[in-house]
Amino acid sequence: MSKSADILAQRFTLPELLLHALVIELEAVQSYKDLAEQMRECGNQDVAELFEKMSVLEAEHAAKIRQQAKGVELPELSPWEFRWSGLEPPENIDLAGVHYLMTPHQALDLALENEMSAMAFFDAVAHDTADDKVRSIAKEFADDERQHVAWMNDWLAKYPPPADDWDYDPDPPAAID
Amino acid sequence: MSAVAPCKLKASDYKSGTKPVWCPGCGDYHVLASVTKAIATLQLAPENIAVISGIGCSSRLPAYLNSYGFHGIHGRALPLATGLKVARPDLTVICAGGDGDGFSIGGNHLLHACRRNIDITYIVMDNEIYGMTKGQPSPTTAPDWDTDLAPGGTGVSPFHPLVIALASGANFVARAFSGDVKGTTKTLAEAISHPGFSFVQILSPCVTFRPDQREWKTKVHPPPVEFTTNAAQAARRVMTDDGFNIGVLYKGSRGKYRQSVEHDVTVERDLDREFLI
Repeated sequence: MSKSADILAQRFTLPELLLHALVIELEAVQSYKDLAEQMRECGNQDVAELFEKMSVLEAEHAAKIRQQAKGVELPELSPWEFRWSGLEPPENIDLAGVHYLMTPHQALDLALENEMSAMAFFDAVAHDTADDKVRSIAKEFADDERQHVAWMNDWLAKYPPPADDWDYDPDPPAAID
Repeated sequence: MSAVAPCKLKASDYKSGTKPVWCPGCGDYHVLASVTKAIATLQLAPENIAVISGIGCSSRLPAYLNSYGFHGIHGRALPLATGLKVARPDLTVICAGGDGDGFSIGGNHLLHACRRNIDITYIVMDNEIYGMTKGQPSPTTAPDWDTDLAPGGTGVSPFHPLVIALASGANFVARAFSGDVKGTTKTLAEAISHPGFSFVQILSPCVTFRPDQREWKTKVHPPPVEFTTNAAQAARRVMTDDGFNIGVLYKGSRGKYRQSVEHDVTVERDLDREFLI
């Protein structure tokens, strides 16, 4: 779906920024948890554990943002009133990239993409705002995501890229050519 | 619409705790998220919602929701939902299923549910395939989709659900994409709130049997124009689009179905007597 280039054009207030940041992390926690369960169901233990780790990481980040939001009255927004730059919050895993035989390397690739999207989101908010406080918090969030990007890259180096036949299943679910 | 819940409920409060058994990457996970967010937005009380389904992967939806539910038989979700809504008009009745269940086995029921305009929201998770039974072509499968199960493709033109719904009298018609949770949530909230029969086709990829559908996320786009209140105009639009316009297509103002006969307790008692052994 074509993304609206100016979705962030409407500047964020501090409560709006905090709410968006919190929702990004909380949805990511749930999204990774769900994926871990799905992978465990399929017997893909390595990727399940990885997604669980990601879920814990995002939960820690959510706790930090919750702490920062203490005392700030967050606005109530309908799900469709959130101003994401894509279809979903930037740290939600793109289901189109998920496969039951995916390798840890591929899972980390998806996670890396998410962290980079989140970083870009906060960088854009920091860049667009005229409010010093919003800029400072958005920059801080962007730096957190930058750190996560670095971790993802470190982790990626530890897992070999998938073999050519990574999706070979001797007992495939479908009779597809 | 049904009674409002007394305290603020979150989307997660509408999940049952039963873990879905859909394949990893299935679009139906996103539909579940959109349904819970839509009903949380409307703050419907779980005890006033009933989700009725037929058979198929997507028809597992009621099990994953914290509401009343009925996992019915193949193609018969709409008759069940109709009966329930007529008997309990106070409930918010949501009907859910897939393209095989709704357009093939249950196709005839779709026509008459639209025609009757009972206040139900019908969500069809369309993946253009029978996923649960391992990938047979469904009524919305392209004629040239070539597999071991349909060598060379079926050669049969696909069913056009939105046009059929419009022609049959549905009062709200929309298309959504599962990966667009934000947009799907809004569409579902509108569909549930709209009086009469609301029909929402959700393009929901089957990543196991139709890996090509992973590309849908790059194909869907908002419609070039706003919804219309003219069914003929809506039908023309949808007949000439590329199949990937998402959003509300049509909002009608036809009066929803009302029972013409007042509820009569003596009729019920007479019926009870008839069935006494």
